[in-house]
Amino acid sequence: MNENPEKTTHFGYKTVAKTEKASMVADVFHSVATKYDVMNDLMSFGIHRLWKRQTIASSGVRKGHHVLDLAGGTGDLTAKFSQLVGDTGQVVLGDINSSMLKVGREKLHNLGLVGNIDYVQMNAEALPFPDNSFDLITIAFGLRNVTDQNKALRSMYRILKPGGRLLVLEFSKPEHQVLSKAYDFYSFNLLPKMGELVANDGESYKYLAESIRMHPDQETLKAMMNEAGFEQTTYQNLTGGIVALHRGFKY
Amino acid sequence: MLNNFIVAIIECILNTALELDPTLSDRLSSIAQKRLLIDIRDWQQQFLVVFTGQQLHLYNTTEQQFDCMISADIQTLMALKNPAMLTQLIRQDKLDLQGDLNIAQGFSNAFAALNIDWPEHLSDYLGDAAAQQLWQLVKQTQQQSQKVNKKLSTTLTTLCQDELKVTIHPLELEQFKQHTRQLKAHVAQLELRINQLLQAK
Repeated sequence: MNENPEKTTHFGYKTVAKTEKASMVADVFHSVATKYDVMNDLMSFGIHRLWKRQTIASSGVRKGHHVLDLAGGTGDLTAKFSQLVGDTGQVVLGDINSSMLKVGREKLHNLGLVGNIDYVQMNAEALPFPDNSFDLITIAFGLRNVTDQNKALRSMYRILKPGGRLLVLEFSKPEHQVLSKAYDFYSFNLLPKMGELVANDGESYKYLAESIRMHPDQETLKAMMNEAGFEQTTYQNLTGGIVALHRGFKY
Repeated sequence: MLNNFIVAIIECILNTALELDPTLSDRLSSIAQKRLLIDIRDWQQQFLVVFTGQQLHLYNTTEQQFDCMISADIQTLMALKNPAMLTQLIRQDKLDLQGDLNIAQGFSNAFAALNIDWPEHLSDYLGDAAAQQLWQLVKQTQQQSQKVNKKLSTTLTTLCQDELKVTIHPLELEQFKQHTRQLKAHVAQLELRINQLLQAK
């Protein structure tokens, strides 16, 4: 393995070549796509729904807006945004993983949400849209899986309209030591076992726990967003900092 | 997060009402996609309500983007069950309203006219006769409890008024205190005099 930091990145606790990470992440999500929603509810005891509600409440989205739900997976946020932007708006559900997109499309079709949703397979580091295209970009539990996060943030900044905002919902660093210990125990001991039992894939959920620990903490991510050009960048800790919602604007 | 959880439950209840009263959706259609921001002053919380045509969305938010904003305390907002009160409350400065008044009136009117046919919905589970009987029982219990409440309230008011009559006035209390102080002074003088007489012996 080449240990040159410019050519390597982390995949959980492993160090891998940058060129390999995307396909390794893709394998994880191909594997869990069909059980993704069930596992989300199970692993977070349903609290992920409240985290996503907070994201929508902070989005300022309204009729006619163009929204990109990046790494949108099975479309939880897209479902709400699709209704809030109405017929004159547009939501793009983007994900690098075709299996996740397929599950998301099926789920949204079954909910009767058609007409203002596009499904696009895309890489967050090179978003296939013109400059100044979107009023809102959200990326929920996706940024930590991106190989070059700085490049992805710059790409998001480019396609946001002036006045638009980026919302990053992502696992982060718990604020209190006791919570952190309990969370570590849960993530490394119980989570992979739950993954093994329900999705028959303990390794993917071991990666989930590891990738969360490798993800930048609240202040680091805020600094990265500022570096990418975002202004008025703030974050809100949810559930004691287990998850943080970062918000930045383009002016 | 607790706020979010409670708001999610309320949103769920609102959407259940939307399903149970099909006419509610029609009444809200004129204000579809319009954002009503409700600022509850005494709770220092803001809630955004949007009807999207399919569902009602309710969020606890700090965003200041709205088509209409109502700011009032919770008791004033409860008075809005009667839509006719809206203008009166604004005149009384109990309620601030910014933006399009029709949106606030639209929501208020739609929910004031909420009419859920409970026997019809319950009949799916219990059958027509049982559902009707259950509904009548609920109505009777409701009427009885209203009567009992009214009676209790009247009794309590009467008791308070009677108690007020026998309660001494603050001035009377002050006078009593003054008399007690004078009596205390007299007793002290008497004690002094007795002691002097005893010593003179």
